[in-house]
Amino acid sequence: MLQPYFQWMNDLAVSKAIGESIWIYPLVQAIHLLFLALFAGSLLIVDLRLMGWGMREQPVAKVARDAWPWMILGFVGLVVTGIPQLMQNAMREYFSEFFWIKMYVLPIALIYTFTIRRMVSMADESRVAPAMSKLTGFASILLWIGGVAVPSRLIGLFT
Amino acid sequence: MADLLKPLHDLFFAISEMENSIALRESQFVWPLFEVVHVVFMCLFAGLIVMMDLRLLGVGNMQTPFTQLQKRLFPWQMVGMTGAAMTGLVLVFGDPMRFYGNIFFWMKMLMMVIAAVNAMAFHYIAYFSVDSWDNARVPPFGAKLAGALGVALWGFVIIAGRLIPYNWFQN
Repeated sequence: MLQPYFQWMNDLAVSKAIGESIWIYPLVQAIHLLFLALFAGSLLIVDLRLMGWGMREQPVAKVARDAWPWMILGFVGLVVTGIPQLMQNAMREYFSEFFWIKMYVLPIALIYTFTIRRMVSMADESRVAPAMSKLTGFASILLWIGGVAVPSRLIGLFT
Repeated sequence: MADLLKPLHDLFFAISEMENSIALRESQFVWPLFEVVHVVFMCLFAGLIVMMDLRLLGVGNMQTPFTQLQKRLFPWQMVGMTGAAMTGLVLVFGDPMRFYGNIFFWMKMLMMVIAAVNAMAFHYIAYFSVDSWDNARVPPFGAKLAGALGVALWGFVIIAGRLIPYNWFQN
């Protein structure tokens, strides 16, 4: 269904130019990883805390509030550096199962992060059951690392 | 640089001839598995290092005293580092000659050594007076410098690592 759009993206002059340059694509990949580190750090610092590990002396809400802007910045950076990679490889991505796993899990992870995870992590801790808090952190790691990051790495390894 | 690495050549070459090494680089799933796990551990290690460095720079995680951040994140950073180092070693073991002749691999190794020196220097210099700036909105120059160097050096490690497959300078 989406194939014509991917084909169109694949054939854009910009996409071709990215593919022809020997250094643009590798550099974009590298910067993508830098933003991944930022994103993963600001994600995990909160998820570990939710699970009762990491910065245990600190209320979850404080940790979550501090980490939030960095997570947004990390995510924006990932998107900005992800799009050129998609453009340059549009048809390969279209036929990659891992790409579609990533694309299906990504919106779920995003919605989850902006709703349930945000509410639980920013809430007054006395009103959140420890089991609920642990589950929230665990689901976040599962979605982002297991559902988004791992399939992303696999796109390039199995094509 | 080639001369500097010469003594390592025989070692790397001998490893590349080992049966397990050959099996690893020819495996369809084991090699990719290690690549994936390496990146996951990188997320844990580099991610939490950045969180600490942002605090040192005075721009992030400011509601938490530095000592607490350091104490609580350290074990997780060590888990990430150990995991990344072990999976990394396995990858080198599986294809030593690919890494031996690769400028980005050696740059990555060098940057990691410098990053370790930076961490040690911080520990013995700026961290010595941590009681006086643990809660400070603006950490002292030494702490900021260690944080900036940490971000830059580990950033270079990641960039160099990602560029290893693109060996533009191999002859």
